Amino acid sequence: MFHVSFRYIFGIPPLILVLLPVTSSNCHLKDKEGKGYENVIMISINELEKMLDIDNDCLKKEPNFFRRHSCADKKEAAFLNRAAYKLEQFVKMNITTDFELHLLKVSQGTLKLINCTKEETISKETKKNDWCFLKALIQKIKTCWNKILRGH
Amino acid sequence: MNFSKLQEEKYFIKTKKFLLVGESKICVKLGEETLACKTVEIAHLVKPEAPFDMKVIYRDRANDFEVTFNTSHLQKKYVKQLMHDVAYCQEKNGNNWTHMNIFNTRLTLPLRKLQSDAMYEIKVRSIPDSDYYKGFWSEWSPSSHFKTPEANNAEEMNPVLSTISITSFFSVVLLVILSCALWKKRIKPIVWPSLPDHKKTLEQLCKKPEKNLNVSFNPEHFLDCQIHKVDDIQSRDEVESFLQDTLSPQFEESEKQGFAGSGQGHNWPSQIPVITSEAFKGELPFGCPTGNISACNASMHPSFWSPDCRKGIRSGSHMYQGLLLSPGTTDSTVLPPFPLQSGILTMNPGIQGQPILTSLKQSQEEAYVTMSSFYKNQ
Repeated sequence: MFHVSFRYIFGIPPLILVLLPVTSSNCHLKDKEGKGYENVIMISINELEKMLDIDNDCLKKEPNFFRRHSCADKKEAAFLNRAAYKLEQFVKMNITTDFELHLLKVSQGTLKLINCTKEETISKETKKNDWCFLKALIQKIKTCWNKILRGH
Repeated sequence: MNFSKLQEEKYFIKTKKFLLVGESKICVKLGEETLACKTVEIAHLVKPEAPFDMKVIYRDRANDFEVTFNTSHLQKKYVKQLMHDVAYCQEKNGNNWTHMNIFNTRLTLPLRKLQSDAMYEIKVRSIPDSDYYKGFWSEWSPSSHFKTPEANNAEEMNPVLSTISITSFFSVVLLVILSCALWKKRIKPIVWPSLPDHKKTLEQLCKKPEKNLNVSFNPEHFLDCQIHKVDDIQSRDEVESFLQDTLSPQFEESEKQGFAGSGQGHNWPSQIPVITSEAFKGELPFGCPTGNISACNASMHPSFWSPDCRKGIRSGSHMYQGLLLSPGTTDSTVLPPFPLQSGILTMNPGIQGQPILTSLKQSQEEAYVTMSSFYKNQ
């Protein structure tokens, strides 16, 4: 009996303390007024949505990325940070077109405005012509930005 | 990115890759060697492109100049909100520029702010006007020139206006003169009607007393009149018609007795029905309104009294019973009509020195009607 209570008293609380940083978000929003988003990022997102609106053959099935990562409460900044990194994978090295310029503004602009203490690990690369995923990703980024700014 | 040389020690680079969010670090490299680096916030270094295509049009009816221009920032995505500085001056004045700040690409210059028959120069520049993008004034747009019309042209517009203004002025003056002239006679009675004055109306109803009144309080002058003093009143229920039938012959008998005993000082009370003012229509013999006997100035001619006293008493067909009017009655109120239930007055015909108003003529009715109509109007 004594060894059972000993396990619960001295085992579980340290476990909670260790796991707490994993569950808590290590990212926060620097631009709380949202001026950077309204004057730069939102304009580029709208331009990208216009350009991607042509392709409507996307499946309704949600990609796995969004099942693992979502814009949950108190985790908006972390999701935006992760989504921005994902978006950068679609940017080519030699940026020539306006489409890539807007992608750059959205991804790098978001990373500039979100401050994370822990660096994000880059997940496996997505196909660069997966426009359906890109379209969904841009829509998720826009929705999450609106949510995080409404909260402030 | 490679720089292009603009002037001596001035280089420029044309690119869309600038991230307009947060600070940017710009370094100048010569080969592999970094010469200089600077951290700047690009959103605060915005210099707009200069406006162009400025036009000035004179509007004859509005008597002003319409100034319009164009700017490339109307089609841009990021820096859209600008403030424009429009400057104009007379060409002969040199550098005496007048500045106006506007937020759209259209401006109106009224002619009164400009000199007539003069040549003007006008130009415009822009600066970012938002809470995010800040920067510097753009270059001036190419100048436009326009000429204001001559003074005669401006005056040609005025004859019609001056004619109308002069005509309206004279009409106003005429109106004022007419209103002053006709104020008392015609305008004031309509605007401010005079209300009837009660005192004046009453004075008109009452006749003025005759001058040189022969008023006498000598009892010897009233020996011809039957003076009946009222001692008390007894109420008794009787039918009016019965009283008329029974009292009319009785009254003649008592009249004879009264006349016979008037000078002898009989003290027996005689029940004589008294004729009230209601029985007669018209004024009192001496011109008093009904009910206001004490307020009237009676003309007490002895000769006046004796025939009227007999005449009043002998009008037996119009006899009614009622109270005798006391000398103390001063109100001008009409006596209420007496009910059938009447009282019989006991009078002492022997007592002298008490003038009693018993003779009332038909003329009281006229005053009664006039007064009643007066109260109706009131």
